[in-house]
Amino acid sequence: MSIKFEQVSHTYSKNTPFQYIALKDVDLAIEKGSFTAIIGHTGSGKSTLIQHINGLILPTSGIVTVNDFVVDANNLPKVLRPLRQMAGLVFQFPEYQLFEDSVEKDIIFGPKNFGVDEETAKQKAKEALAMVKMDESYLEKSPFDLSGGQKRRIAIAGILVMEPDILVLDEPTAGLDPQGAKEMMELFKALNDQGKTVIIVTHDMNQVLNYCDHAVVMNKGEIIKTGTVEEIFKDPEYLETLSIDLPIMTHFIHELNKNGFHIDPSIKDLDTLIKAIGGK
Amino acid sequence: MGNMTLGKYLPFDSFIHRLDPRMKIVSLLFLLISVFFDAGFIGYGIIGLFVCLVVVLSKIKITYILKSLKPMIFMMSFLMILNVFMIQKGTVLFSIGPLAIYSGGLIQTAYILIRLVLIVALTTVLTATTKPLDLTLGLEHLFNPLRKIGFPAHEVSMMISIALRFIPTLLEETERIMKAQASRGVDFKEGSLKDKVKAIVSLIVPLFISAFQRAEDLANAMESRGYNPDGKRTKYKVLKWRMSDTLSLLTTVVMCVGIIVMSVI
Repeated sequence: MSIKFEQVSHTYSKNTPFQYIALKDVDLAIEKGSFTAIIGHTGSGKSTLIQHINGLILPTSGIVTVNDFVVDANNLPKVLRPLRQMAGLVFQFPEYQLFEDSVEKDIIFGPKNFGVDEETAKQKAKEALAMVKMDESYLEKSPFDLSGGQKRRIAIAGILVMEPDILVLDEPTAGLDPQGAKEMMELFKALNDQGKTVIIVTHDMNQVLNYCDHAVVMNKGEIIKTGTVEEIFKDPEYLETLSIDLPIMTHFIHELNKNGFHIDPSIKDLDTLIKAIGGK
Repeated sequence: MGNMTLGKYLPFDSFIHRLDPRMKIVSLLFLLISVFFDAGFIGYGIIGLFVCLVVVLSKIKITYILKSLKPMIFMMSFLMILNVFMIQKGTVLFSIGPLAIYSGGLIQTAYILIRLVLIVALTTVLTATTKPLDLTLGLEHLFNPLRKIGFPAHEVSMMISIALRFIPTLLEETERIMKAQASRGVDFKEGSLKDKVKAIVSLIVPLFISAFQRAEDLANAMESRGYNPDGKRTKYKVLKWRMSDTLSLLTTVVMCVGIIVMSVI
């Protein structure tokens, strides 16, 4: 078991008039090597949940276990630093974290903080840059001269370069063009195939269907459903009560079945669907 | 960062909340002036009681006011130590080597501390009971007479309201960037001076970039909606001066004038 939440609650601004309960008694287990989607409304506690994984937020009560690390209410920031390297967290719109005057310096910022020497870090930076499909000519450029999509790639490379076992992504494709979003998701899938545990917060159900194997549904600070992607999308009426859409393909199959077809709703790819309908 | 109490509006419904912002600003001005007049402990006692009354009426918990004093503790203790030893008035109470504590010094120090506490408490009550937008609306009204001598009343109040509006946004942004950099191994709390400088740079640069970006976006949005500072505009919210405002202002002013007279005599 890679990540485990036990009775985790988190309250913001506790004991002030602005007190806000963001997580309520969350129990969750995420398997090593899985690709898990976290879905739910804005404000349902997704971001709070994922920030527990690398110890940026400590639980108000309960325990989070990440590999050998135990995160609870009494942790000191110092103890949690190695966890930050092991569980890489990419925030929403990560391009805002860039600050160095060259792409290379910005990418090696993370590894250097974790004590990697400059030469090794630079070598790793090249590899990370290649992973996000950018060539080495960008190394010397200023990150502020790049386009929004390129900045996003650099920022993600800045996390990948730390070689985390667990990759946590908060809406990594928000605001990217469809082609860029697809490339990004394929990168994460490739990393997942190499054995990394990937956790992604997304509002795009098509991404969930195409790339993820597990899904966690959150609502008002609680986890209301977990399971494989097929299990989650099995019950469209229930999802509708949470205003969560179905992926286009699953929706299409459900519409067909309503009109007399009998097609397996867990079909994920176009070829299988065409065959199931009776095409070639 | 989320625990900052200074200057936050508390959405309660109380007598103080309902008062006109103009009244509150003018009263604060009078109170601040009278705090600086030396009317002895009796004078400060009266102002202190008055502040307590206002806090009770505003339904703000006293712990909240105390919390807002927290950031001042360092400055206060620094001032206290400095004043106790530096002021050489009155009789010597006791001395340790070259350092001597005088009775006058103790009294002066107490005055300074009381003043600071009163000032912070008063301003906290104002910002906690008045919506930032009402506050600027009040300021604009109060600045208006100055327009005749060419003072840009509307522009100034627009700038103040924009600045106030973006304080929480920038705090949020700061927290977000700090977290993002902490994810890359930055330690904002510990480390050598060099590490700390680096940590601060990794926060300041993105913060400035996004602040400038925001400013530009806001300017564009305002211009595309035809903003013109010289334009004659009507107000969605019109301030209403009520009997309770007149009475409250009168009470405050009478008390302040009393204190000032007391100190002069």
